[in-house]
Amino acid sequence: MNADDWLRTLTAELHQRRVAADAARHVVAEAATHLREGGGDPWVVFGPPQQYAGAVVESIGTAPGPRPGPVRLHAAGITKRYGRRSVLRDATLTVRAGQIAAVIGANGCGKSTFLRICAGLMSPDAGEVTVSGRLGYCPQSGGTADFLLADEHFVLIGAGQGVARGPARRAGRAAARQLGWEAGGDVQARHLSGGTRQKLNLTMSTLSAPDVLLLDEPYQGFDQGTYVNFWDQLSRLRDTGTAIVVVTHLLNQLDRVDIVLDLTPARETGWHAPGIQGGRP
Amino acid sequence: MNRLVTVAEMTLRELLRRRGVLLLLLLMPLTFYLIRRDAYLGQSVRSLLLGVGWAVSTAALFATTAARELEPRLRLAGYRPHHLYLGRMLGLWTVGLVISVPFFLLPMIDGADLRYGGLAAAMLCSVAVAAPFGMLIGALLPRELEGTLLLLTVVTVQMLIDPAGSGARLTPFWSSREIATWTVDNTDHGYLSRGLLHGLVVTALLAVGVAAVASVRLRRRRHLRHLPVG
Repeated sequence: MNADDWLRTLTAELHQRRVAADAARHVVAEAATHLREGGGDPWVVFGPPQQYAGAVVESIGTAPGPRPGPVRLHAAGITKRYGRRSVLRDATLTVRAGQIAAVIGANGCGKSTFLRICAGLMSPDAGEVTVSGRLGYCPQSGGTADFLLADEHFVLIGAGQGVARGPARRAGRAAARQLGWEAGGDVQARHLSGGTRQKLNLTMSTLSAPDVLLLDEPYQGFDQGTYVNFWDQLSRLRDTGTAIVVVTHLLNQLDRVDIVLDLTPARETGWHAPGIQGGRP
Repeated sequence: MNRLVTVAEMTLRELLRRRGVLLLLLLMPLTFYLIRRDAYLGQSVRSLLLGVGWAVSTAALFATTAARELEPRLRLAGYRPHHLYLGRMLGLWTVGLVISVPFFLLPMIDGADLRYGGLAAAMLCSVAVAAPFGMLIGALLPRELEGTLLLLTVVTVQMLIDPAGSGARLTPFWSSREIATWTVDNTDHGYLSRGLLHGLVVTALLAVGVAAVASVRLRRRRHLRHLPVG
Protein backbone atom coordinates (compact mmCIF):
# COMPACT_ATOMS: atom_id res chain seq x y z
CA MET A 1 0.00 0.00 0.00
CA ASN A 2 1.56 3.32 -1.09
CA ALA A 3 0.98 6.71 0.60
CA ASP A 4 -2.04 7.55 -1.61
CA ASP A 5 -3.72 4.23 -0.84
CA TRP A 6 -2.99 4.69 2.84
CA LEU A 7 -4.57 8.18 2.78
CA ARG A 8 -7.60 6.87 0.90
CA THR A 9 -8.10 4.08 3.45
CA LEU A 10 -7.72 6.59 6.27
CA THR A 11 -10.39 8.83 4.68
CA ALA A 12 -12.80 5.90 4.38
CA GLU A 13 -12.14 4.82 7.96
CA LEU A 14 -12.74 8.32 9.32
CA HIS A 15 -15.98 8.53 7.33
CA GLN A 16 -17.15 5.17 8.64
CA ARG A 17 -16.34 6.17 12.18
CA ARG A 18 -18.47 9.27 11.73
CA VAL A 19 -15.69 11.82 12.22
CA ALA A 20 -17.09 15.22 11.19
CA ALA A 21 -16.33 15.92 7.51
CA ASP A 22 -14.30 19.11 8.16
CA ALA A 23 -12.25 17.47 10.90
CA ALA A 24 -11.61 14.40 8.72
CA ARG A 25 -10.44 16.58 5.82
CA HIS A 26 -8.13 18.43 8.19
CA VAL A 27 -6.65 15.19 9.61
CA VAL A 28 -6.04 13.73 6.14
CA ALA A 29 -4.49 16.98 4.85
CA GLU A 30 -2.19 17.14 7.86
CA ALA A 31 -1.10 13.53 7.40
CA ALA A 32 -0.51 14.13 3.66
CA THR A 33 1.61 17.21 4.39
CA HIS A 34 3.60 15.33 6.99
CA LEU A 35 4.28 12.47 4.58
CA ARG A 36 5.17 14.81 1.72
CA GLU A 37 7.58 16.88 3.80
CA GLY A 38 9.01 14.21 6.08
CA GLY A 39 8.84 11.29 3.66
CA GLY A 40 8.81 7.74 4.94
CA ASP A 41 6.39 4.83 4.83
CA PRO A 42 2.97 5.85 6.33
CA TRP A 43 2.75 2.39 7.94
CA VAL A 44 5.94 3.17 9.84
CA VAL A 45 5.15 6.84 10.52
CA PHE A 46 1.45 6.49 11.51
CA GLY A 47 0.80 2.76 11.69
CA PRO A 48 -2.16 0.99 10.05
CA PRO A 49 -4.82 3.48 8.82
CA GLN A 50 -7.53 1.75 10.89
CA GLN A 51 -5.47 2.12 14.04
CA TYR A 52 -4.63 5.75 13.28
CA ALA A 53 -8.31 6.49 12.59
CA GLY A 54 -9.15 4.91 15.95
CA ALA A 55 -6.61 7.18 17.67
CA VAL A 56 -8.09 10.23 15.90
CA VAL A 57 -11.59 9.28 17.07
CA GLU A 58 -10.36 8.91 20.64
CA SER A 59 -8.72 12.29 20.44
CA ILE A 60 -11.36 14.44 18.69
CA GLY A 61 -14.51 12.33 18.99
CA THR A 62 -17.16 11.77 16.37
CA ALA A 63 -19.90 13.89 14.91
CA PRO A 64 -23.28 13.08 16.43
CA GLY A 65 -25.22 10.75 14.14
CA PRO A 66 -28.55 11.89 12.84
CA ARG A 67 -31.28 11.36 15.41
CA PRO A 68 -33.29 8.22 14.69
CA GLY A 69 -36.59 9.04 13.04
CA PRO A 70 -40.02 7.51 13.43
CA VAL A 71 -40.55 3.77 13.82
CA ARG A 72 -40.37 2.04 10.43
CA LEU A 73 -40.47 -1.61 11.48
CA HIS A 74 -42.07 -3.08 14.56
CA ALA A 75 -42.14 -6.85 14.96
CA ALA A 76 -43.83 -7.96 18.16
CA GLY A 77 -44.14 -11.38 19.76
CA ILE A 78 -43.02 -13.34 16.69
CA THR A 79 -43.36 -17.05 17.34
CA LYS A 80 -42.74 -19.77 14.78
CA ARG A 81 -42.75 -23.55 15.05
CA TYR A 82 -41.81 -26.17 12.48
CA GLY A 83 -43.74 -29.20 13.67
CA ARG A 84 -42.84 -29.64 17.31
CA ARG A 85 -39.64 -27.63 17.05
CA SER A 86 -39.99 -24.07 18.18
CA VAL A 87 -37.72 -21.83 16.09
CA LEU A 88 -38.74 -18.40 17.31
CA ARG A 89 -40.40 -17.54 20.59
CA ASP A 90 -41.79 -14.11 21.25
CA ALA A 91 -39.09 -12.28 19.27
CA THR A 92 -39.51 -8.52 19.22
CA LEU A 93 -37.68 -5.85 17.27
CA THR A 94 -38.26 -2.15 16.68
CA VAL A 95 -36.22 -0.26 14.11
CA ARG A 96 -36.51 3.46 13.44
CA ALA A 97 -35.63 5.44 10.34
CA GLY A 98 -31.86 5.93 10.25
CA GLN A 99 -31.00 2.84 12.31
CA ILE A 100 -29.27 -0.43 11.50
CA ALA A 101 -30.34 -3.53 13.41
CA ALA A 102 -28.32 -6.72 13.37
CA VAL A 103 -30.03 -10.07 13.86
CA ILE A 104 -27.50 -12.54 15.22
CA GLY A 105 -27.55 -16.03 16.64
CA ALA A 106 -26.36 -19.58 16.19
CA ASN A 107 -27.06 -21.61 13.05
CA GLY A 108 -30.67 -22.71 12.84
CA CYS A 109 -31.92 -20.27 15.50
CA GLY A 110 -34.41 -18.70 13.09
CA LYS A 111 -32.61 -15.59 11.81
CA SER A 112 -33.71 -16.07 8.19
CA THR A 113 -37.17 -17.18 9.30
CA PHE A 114 -37.52 -14.00 11.35
CA LEU A 115 -36.52 -11.88 8.36
CA ARG A 116 -38.89 -13.71 6.01
CA ILE A 117 -41.70 -13.15 8.48
CA CYS A 118 -40.82 -9.43 8.64
CA ALA A 119 -40.86 -9.34 4.81
CA GLY A 120 -44.29 -11.02 4.75
CA LEU A 121 -42.98 -14.03 2.84
CA MET A 122 -43.92 -16.43 5.61
CA SER A 123 -46.61 -16.42 8.28
CA PRO A 124 -45.74 -16.71 11.97
CA ASP A 125 -47.72 -18.82 14.42
CA ALA A 126 -48.12 -15.74 16.57
CA GLY A 127 -47.15 -12.09 16.53
CA GLU A 128 -47.44 -9.25 14.07
CA VAL A 129 -45.27 -6.92 12.05
CA THR A 130 -45.95 -3.29 11.22
CA VAL A 131 -44.01 -1.66 8.42
CA SER A 132 -44.13 2.04 7.55
CA GLY A 133 -43.32 2.68 3.92
CA ARG A 134 -41.81 0.55 1.23
CA LEU A 135 -40.10 -2.74 2.00
CA GLY A 136 -36.96 -4.12 0.32
CA TYR A 137 -35.67 -7.66 0.85
CA CYS A 138 -32.44 -9.37 -0.14
CA PRO A 139 -32.36 -13.16 0.36
CA GLN A 140 -29.26 -15.11 1.37
CA SER A 141 -29.08 -16.65 -2.10
CA GLY A 142 -31.30 -17.05 -5.14
CA GLY A 143 -33.79 -14.33 -5.92
CA THR A 144 -32.31 -13.67 -9.37
CA ALA A 145 -33.20 -15.08 -12.79
CA ASP A 146 -30.45 -17.27 -14.25
CA PHE A 147 -30.98 -16.34 -17.88
CA LEU A 148 -31.46 -12.58 -17.53
CA LEU A 149 -28.79 -9.87 -17.70
CA ALA A 150 -28.21 -7.50 -14.78
CA ASP A 151 -29.83 -4.64 -16.72
CA GLU A 152 -32.91 -6.77 -17.31
CA HIS A 153 -33.20 -7.41 -13.58
CA PHE A 154 -33.10 -3.65 -13.00
CA VAL A 155 -35.79 -3.10 -15.64
CA LEU A 156 -37.95 -5.81 -14.06
CA ILE A 157 -37.68 -4.31 -10.57
CA GLY A 158 -38.12 -0.78 -11.95
CA ALA A 159 -41.32 -1.71 -13.80
CA GLY A 160 -42.83 -2.83 -10.48
CA GLN A 161 -42.49 0.76 -9.29
CA GLY A 162 -43.60 2.23 -12.60
CA VAL A 163 -40.05 3.39 -13.43
CA ALA A 164 -39.19 3.55 -17.15
CA ARG A 165 -36.48 1.30 -18.56
CA GLY A 166 -33.72 3.89 -19.05
CA PRO A 167 -33.89 5.37 -15.54
CA ALA A 168 -34.22 1.87 -13.99
CA ARG A 169 -31.08 0.71 -15.79
CA ARG A 170 -29.16 3.84 -14.81
CA ALA A 171 -30.27 3.58 -11.17
CA GLY A 172 -29.27 -0.09 -11.06
CA ARG A 173 -25.85 0.55 -12.53
CA ALA A 174 -25.25 3.45 -10.14
CA ALA A 175 -26.24 1.31 -7.13
CA ALA A 176 -23.99 -1.52 -8.36
CA ARG A 177 -21.10 0.92 -8.72
CA GLN A 178 -21.40 1.69 -4.98
CA LEU A 179 -20.40 -1.95 -4.45
CA GLY A 180 -17.50 -1.65 -6.85
CA TRP A 181 -19.27 -3.48 -9.68
CA GLU A 182 -19.79 -2.28 -13.26
CA ALA A 183 -23.10 -3.96 -14.02
CA GLY A 184 -23.72 -2.95 -17.62
CA GLY A 185 -22.14 -6.05 -19.20
CA ASP A 186 -23.67 -8.63 -21.49
CA VAL A 187 -23.42 -11.47 -18.95
CA GLN A 188 -26.34 -13.58 -17.84
CA ALA A 189 -26.83 -13.94 -14.07
CA ARG A 190 -25.96 -17.66 -14.17
CA HIS A 191 -22.47 -16.80 -15.46
CA LEU A 192 -21.73 -14.31 -12.67
CA SER A 193 -19.47 -15.39 -9.81
CA GLY A 194 -21.15 -16.08 -6.46
CA GLY A 195 -20.05 -12.74 -5.03
CA THR A 196 -21.09 -10.73 -8.07
CA ARG A 197 -24.44 -12.47 -8.11
CA GLN A 198 -24.94 -11.38 -4.52
CA LYS A 199 -24.07 -7.82 -5.56
CA LEU A 200 -26.86 -8.07 -8.12
CA ASN A 201 -29.15 -9.43 -5.42
CA LEU A 202 -28.27 -6.59 -3.07
CA THR A 203 -28.57 -3.96 -5.79
CA MET A 204 -32.07 -5.23 -6.65
CA SER A 205 -33.19 -4.85 -3.05
CA THR A 206 -32.04 -1.22 -2.80
CA LEU A 207 -33.31 -0.22 -6.24
CA SER A 208 -36.86 0.51 -5.18
CA ALA A 209 -35.56 3.04 -2.57
CA PRO A 210 -37.10 1.10 0.34
CA ASP A 211 -37.89 2.73 3.68
CA VAL A 212 -37.21 -0.60 5.37
CA LEU A 213 -34.43 -2.80 4.01
CA LEU A 214 -34.17 -6.44 5.13
CA LEU A 215 -30.87 -8.17 4.30
CA ASP A 216 -30.28 -11.86 4.92
CA GLU A 217 -26.49 -12.31 5.05
CA PRO A 218 -26.18 -10.63 1.66
CA TYR A 219 -22.38 -10.56 1.63
CA GLN A 220 -21.81 -14.28 0.87
CA GLY A 221 -18.89 -14.51 -1.54
CA PHE A 222 -17.90 -10.84 -1.24
CA ASP A 223 -14.18 -10.08 -1.32
CA GLN A 224 -12.69 -7.83 1.36
CA GLY A 225 -13.04 -4.61 -0.69
CA THR A 226 -16.68 -5.29 -1.54
CA TYR A 227 -17.40 -6.20 2.06
CA VAL A 228 -16.09 -2.78 3.14
CA ASN A 229 -18.13 -1.12 0.37
CA PHE A 230 -21.18 -3.02 1.59
CA TRP A 231 -20.96 -1.60 5.10
CA ASP A 232 -20.20 1.85 3.67
CA GLN A 233 -23.35 1.62 1.60
CA LEU A 234 -25.37 0.56 4.63
CA SER A 235 -24.02 3.62 6.47
CA ARG A 236 -25.03 5.86 3.56
CA LEU A 237 -28.52 4.35 3.46
CA ARG A 238 -28.85 4.77 7.20
CA ASP A 239 -27.85 8.41 6.87
CA THR A 240 -30.60 8.95 4.33
CA GLY A 241 -33.17 7.61 6.80
CA THR A 242 -33.53 3.98 5.74
CA ALA A 243 -34.28 1.49 8.51
CA ILE A 244 -32.06 -1.55 7.93
CA VAL A 245 -32.19 -5.03 9.39
CA VAL A 246 -29.24 -7.25 8.54
CA VAL A 247 -28.86 -10.89 9.48
CA THR A 248 -25.22 -11.53 10.27
CA HIS A 249 -22.97 -13.98 12.01
CA LEU A 250 -19.93 -11.69 11.80
CA LEU A 251 -19.82 -10.22 15.29
CA ASN A 252 -16.85 -7.96 14.49
CA GLN A 253 -19.21 -5.62 12.63
CA LEU A 254 -21.57 -5.05 15.54
CA ASP A 255 -19.95 -1.73 16.43
CA ARG A 256 -21.45 -0.39 13.21
CA VAL A 257 -25.03 -1.15 14.13
CA ASP A 258 -27.50 0.53 16.45
CA ILE A 259 -29.55 -2.42 17.65
CA VAL A 260 -28.72 -6.08 18.14
CA LEU A 261 -31.30 -8.81 18.30
CA ASP A 262 -29.82 -12.11 19.48
CA LEU A 263 -32.03 -15.06 18.61
CA THR A 264 -29.85 -17.67 20.28
CA PRO A 265 -32.34 -19.86 22.17
CA ALA A 266 -30.30 -20.05 25.39
CA ARG A 267 -30.93 -16.39 26.02
CA GLU A 268 -34.12 -14.48 26.39
CA THR A 269 -35.14 -13.61 22.87
CA GLY A 270 -36.23 -10.29 21.59
CA TRP A 271 -33.97 -8.07 23.58
CA HIS A 272 -32.98 -4.71 22.33
CA ALA A 273 -29.58 -3.56 23.44
CA PRO A 274 -28.17 -0.48 21.74
CA GLY A 275 -24.67 0.21 22.87
CA ILE A 276 -24.49 -2.78 25.17
CA GLN A 277 -24.05 -5.86 23.00
CA GLY A 278 -21.99 -4.13 20.35
CA GLY A 279 -24.65 -1.72 19.19
CA ARG A 280 -23.25 1.65 18.11
CA PRO A 281 -23.26 3.95 21.14
CA MET B 1 -50.18 -3.00 -18.25
CA ASN B 2 -46.47 -2.16 -18.37
CA ARG B 3 -45.79 -4.65 -15.57
CA LEU B 4 -47.67 -7.39 -17.40
CA VAL B 5 -45.76 -6.75 -20.63
CA THR B 6 -42.41 -6.56 -18.80
CA VAL B 7 -42.98 -9.97 -17.14
CA ALA B 8 -44.07 -11.43 -20.51
CA GLU B 9 -40.99 -9.99 -22.20
CA MET B 10 -38.61 -11.32 -19.55
CA THR B 11 -40.25 -14.78 -19.76
CA LEU B 12 -39.68 -14.73 -23.50
CA ARG B 13 -36.07 -13.62 -23.14
CA GLU B 14 -35.35 -16.32 -20.56
CA LEU B 15 -36.85 -19.08 -22.67
CA LEU B 16 -35.18 -18.00 -25.89
CA ARG B 17 -31.81 -18.11 -24.11
CA ARG B 18 -32.36 -21.73 -23.05
CA ARG B 19 -31.29 -22.79 -26.52
CA GLY B 20 -30.45 -26.39 -25.67
CA VAL B 21 -33.79 -26.95 -23.96
CA LEU B 22 -35.65 -25.24 -26.81
CA LEU B 23 -33.93 -27.42 -29.38
CA LEU B 24 -34.85 -30.59 -27.50
CA LEU B 25 -38.40 -29.34 -27.10
CA LEU B 26 -38.64 -28.75 -30.85
CA LEU B 27 -37.24 -32.19 -31.51
CA MET B 28 -40.06 -33.91 -29.68
CA PRO B 29 -43.03 -32.90 -31.91
CA LEU B 30 -40.86 -33.53 -34.96
CA THR B 31 -40.02 -37.03 -33.73
CA PHE B 32 -43.66 -37.68 -32.87
CA TYR B 33 -44.62 -36.69 -36.41
CA LEU B 34 -41.90 -38.61 -38.22
CA ILE B 35 -42.30 -41.80 -36.21
CA ARG B 36 -45.91 -42.13 -37.41
CA ARG B 37 -45.15 -40.75 -40.87
CA ASP B 38 -45.37 -44.09 -42.70
CA ALA B 39 -48.56 -45.14 -40.99
CA TYR B 40 -51.93 -43.43 -40.97
CA LEU B 41 -51.66 -39.63 -41.45
CA GLY B 42 -54.24 -38.92 -38.76
CA GLN B 43 -52.06 -40.51 -36.09
CA SER B 44 -49.07 -38.59 -37.35
CA VAL B 45 -50.85 -35.23 -37.04
CA ARG B 46 -52.34 -36.10 -33.64
CA SER B 47 -48.88 -37.06 -32.38
CA LEU B 48 -47.51 -33.79 -33.72
CA LEU B 49 -50.15 -31.82 -31.81
CA LEU B 50 -49.47 -33.78 -28.64
CA GLY B 51 -45.75 -33.10 -29.12
CA VAL B 52 -46.41 -29.34 -29.38
CA GLY B 53 -48.53 -29.53 -26.23
CA TRP B 54 -45.78 -31.42 -24.40
CA ALA B 55 -43.10 -28.95 -25.55
CA VAL B 56 -45.02 -25.85 -24.44
CA SER B 57 -46.09 -27.46 -21.14
CA THR B 58 -42.49 -28.35 -20.37
CA ALA B 59 -41.31 -24.83 -21.20
CA ALA B 60 -44.07 -23.49 -18.93
CA LEU B 61 -43.04 -25.86 -16.16
CA PHE B 62 -39.39 -24.74 -16.37
CA ALA B 63 -40.31 -21.05 -16.50
CA THR B 64 -42.58 -21.37 -13.46
CA THR B 65 -40.08 -23.33 -11.40
CA ALA B 66 -37.27 -20.89 -12.28
CA ALA B 67 -39.39 -17.93 -11.18
CA ARG B 68 -40.35 -19.46 -7.82
CA GLU B 69 -37.69 -17.60 -5.83
CA LEU B 70 -37.87 -14.39 -7.83
CA GLU B 71 -41.62 -13.87 -7.61
CA PRO B 72 -41.87 -13.04 -3.88
CA ARG B 73 -39.37 -10.21 -4.28
CA LEU B 74 -41.13 -8.96 -7.40
CA ARG B 75 -44.27 -8.89 -5.28
CA LEU B 76 -42.41 -6.70 -2.79
CA ALA B 77 -41.19 -4.53 -5.67
CA GLY B 78 -44.78 -3.58 -6.51
CA TYR B 79 -46.18 -6.39 -8.68
CA ARG B 80 -49.59 -7.90 -7.97
CA PRO B 81 -49.98 -11.69 -8.33
CA HIS B 82 -51.99 -11.31 -11.56
CA HIS B 83 -49.16 -9.29 -13.16
CA LEU B 84 -46.85 -12.22 -12.54
CA TYR B 85 -48.95 -15.19 -13.64
CA LEU B 86 -50.73 -13.45 -16.50
CA GLY B 87 -47.49 -11.91 -17.75
CA ARG B 88 -45.79 -15.29 -17.66
CA MET B 89 -48.73 -16.94 -19.42
CA LEU B 90 -48.67 -14.26 -22.11
CA GLY B 91 -44.94 -14.86 -22.66
CA LEU B 92 -45.47 -18.62 -22.85
CA TRP B 93 -48.35 -18.33 -25.30
CA THR B 94 -46.10 -16.20 -27.50
CA VAL B 95 -43.32 -18.82 -27.35
CA GLY B 96 -45.91 -21.51 -28.09
CA LEU B 97 -47.16 -19.69 -31.15
CA VAL B 98 -43.61 -19.22 -32.43
CA ILE B 99 -42.87 -22.93 -31.89
CA SER B 100 -46.11 -23.88 -33.66
CA VAL B 101 -45.35 -22.13 -36.94
CA PRO B 102 -42.82 -24.69 -38.28
CA PHE B 103 -45.03 -27.56 -37.14
CA PHE B 104 -48.01 -26.03 -38.90
CA LEU B 105 -45.94 -25.80 -42.07
CA LEU B 106 -44.51 -29.32 -41.73
CA PRO B 107 -47.57 -31.30 -42.99
CA MET B 108 -48.06 -28.65 -45.67
CA ILE B 109 -44.51 -29.16 -46.97
CA ASP B 110 -45.03 -32.89 -46.60
CA GLY B 111 -47.97 -32.59 -49.00
CA ALA B 112 -50.64 -33.81 -46.59
CA ASP B 113 -54.23 -33.30 -47.69
CA LEU B 114 -55.81 -31.69 -44.62
CA ARG B 115 -58.23 -29.00 -43.51
CA TYR B 116 -55.45 -26.53 -42.64
CA GLY B 117 -57.84 -24.21 -40.83
CA GLY B 118 -58.54 -27.12 -38.52
CA LEU B 119 -54.85 -27.78 -38.02
CA ALA B 120 -54.35 -24.12 -37.03
CA ALA B 121 -57.27 -24.32 -34.58
CA ALA B 122 -55.92 -27.56 -33.08
CA MET B 123 -52.45 -25.99 -32.70
CA LEU B 124 -53.97 -22.95 -31.01
CA CYS B 125 -55.91 -25.18 -28.62
CA SER B 126 -52.79 -27.21 -27.88
CA VAL B 127 -50.75 -24.08 -27.09
CA ALA B 128 -53.58 -22.39 -25.17
CA VAL B 129 -54.03 -25.40 -22.88
CA ALA B 130 -50.32 -26.26 -22.55
CA ALA B 131 -49.12 -22.93 -21.07
CA PRO B 132 -51.44 -22.84 -18.02
CA PHE B 133 -51.19 -26.64 -17.68
CA GLY B 134 -47.37 -26.54 -17.35
CA MET B 135 -47.63 -23.49 -15.09
CA LEU B 136 -50.11 -25.21 -12.79
CA ILE B 137 -47.88 -28.25 -12.44
CA GLY B 138 -44.89 -25.98 -11.84
CA ALA B 139 -46.82 -24.05 -9.19
CA LEU B 140 -47.95 -27.20 -7.39
CA LEU B 141 -44.72 -29.20 -7.61
CA PRO B 142 -41.63 -27.26 -6.56
CA ARG B 143 -39.04 -29.42 -8.36
CA GLU B 144 -38.59 -29.72 -12.11
CA LEU B 145 -38.03 -33.49 -12.04
CA GLU B 146 -41.31 -34.22 -10.28
CA GLY B 147 -43.15 -31.88 -12.64
CA THR B 148 -41.57 -33.42 -15.74
CA LEU B 149 -42.52 -36.93 -14.59
CA LEU B 150 -46.11 -35.84 -14.01
CA LEU B 151 -46.21 -34.23 -17.47
CA LEU B 152 -44.85 -37.40 -18.98
CA THR B 153 -47.55 -39.43 -17.25
CA VAL B 154 -50.31 -37.15 -18.51
CA VAL B 155 -49.00 -37.19 -22.09
CA THR B 156 -48.67 -40.98 -22.01
CA VAL B 157 -52.23 -41.36 -20.73
CA GLN B 158 -53.39 -38.94 -23.40
CA MET B 159 -51.64 -41.03 -26.03
CA LEU B 160 -52.93 -44.41 -24.88
CA ILE B 161 -56.46 -43.67 -23.74
CA ASP B 162 -59.41 -44.51 -26.00
CA PRO B 163 -60.47 -41.09 -27.37
CA ALA B 164 -64.08 -42.22 -27.68
CA GLY B 165 -64.29 -43.17 -24.00
CA SER B 166 -65.78 -40.72 -21.50
CA GLY B 167 -62.53 -40.63 -19.49
CA ALA B 168 -60.67 -39.15 -22.46
CA ARG B 169 -62.55 -35.88 -22.05
CA LEU B 170 -60.87 -35.41 -18.71
CA THR B 171 -57.44 -35.31 -20.32
CA PRO B 172 -56.19 -31.79 -21.05
CA PHE B 173 -55.32 -32.16 -24.73
CA TRP B 174 -58.49 -33.97 -25.82
CA SER B 175 -59.59 -30.80 -27.65
CA SER B 176 -56.71 -30.83 -30.14
CA ARG B 177 -57.20 -34.54 -30.74
CA GLU B 178 -60.90 -34.00 -31.50
CA ILE B 179 -60.17 -31.09 -33.85
CA ALA B 180 -57.40 -33.15 -35.48
CA THR B 181 -59.96 -35.83 -36.32
CA TRP B 182 -62.08 -33.18 -38.06
CA THR B 183 -58.94 -31.89 -39.79
CA VAL B 184 -57.67 -35.22 -41.10
CA ASP B 185 -60.74 -37.45 -41.47
CA ASN B 186 -63.21 -34.83 -42.77
CA THR B 187 -65.70 -35.75 -40.08
CA ASP B 188 -68.76 -33.63 -39.23
CA HIS B 189 -68.51 -30.17 -37.61
CA GLY B 190 -69.47 -31.62 -34.24
CA TYR B 191 -65.83 -32.67 -33.74
CA LEU B 192 -64.64 -29.12 -34.34
CA SER B 193 -67.17 -27.43 -32.07
CA ARG B 194 -66.73 -30.03 -29.29
CA GLY B 195 -62.97 -29.64 -29.53
CA LEU B 196 -63.07 -25.84 -29.46
CA LEU B 197 -65.45 -25.82 -26.50
CA HIS B 198 -63.29 -28.32 -24.62
CA GLY B 199 -60.14 -26.30 -25.35
CA LEU B 200 -61.78 -23.10 -24.15
CA VAL B 201 -63.17 -24.60 -20.95
CA VAL B 202 -59.94 -26.45 -20.06
CA THR B 203 -57.81 -23.33 -20.72
CA ALA B 204 -60.11 -21.24 -18.54
CA LEU B 205 -60.14 -23.84 -15.73
CA LEU B 206 -56.36 -24.20 -15.79
CA ALA B 207 -55.87 -20.42 -15.81
CA VAL B 208 -58.20 -20.11 -12.82
CA GLY B 209 -56.21 -22.88 -11.11
CA VAL B 210 -52.93 -21.02 -11.74
CA ALA B 211 -54.49 -17.78 -10.47
CA ALA B 212 -55.73 -19.50 -7.30
CA VAL B 213 -52.36 -21.10 -6.48
CA ALA B 214 -50.43 -17.87 -7.23
CA SER B 215 -52.85 -15.78 -5.19
CA VAL B 216 -52.43 -18.07 -2.19
CA ARG B 217 -48.65 -18.34 -2.50
CA LEU B 218 -48.09 -14.62 -3.08
CA ARG B 219 -50.84 -13.38 -0.78
CA ARG B 220 -50.37 -10.47 1.58
CA ARG B 221 -49.95 -12.16 4.95
CA ARG B 222 -52.32 -11.19 7.72
CA HIS B 223 -49.62 -10.64 10.32
CA LEU B 224 -48.04 -7.85 8.24
CA ARG B 225 -49.59 -4.40 8.48
CA HIS B 226 -48.46 -1.69 6.07
CA LEU B 227 -48.67 1.93 7.08
CA PRO B 228 -47.92 4.90 4.85
CA VAL B 229 -44.69 6.78 5.62
CA GLY B 230 -45.59 9.31 8.30
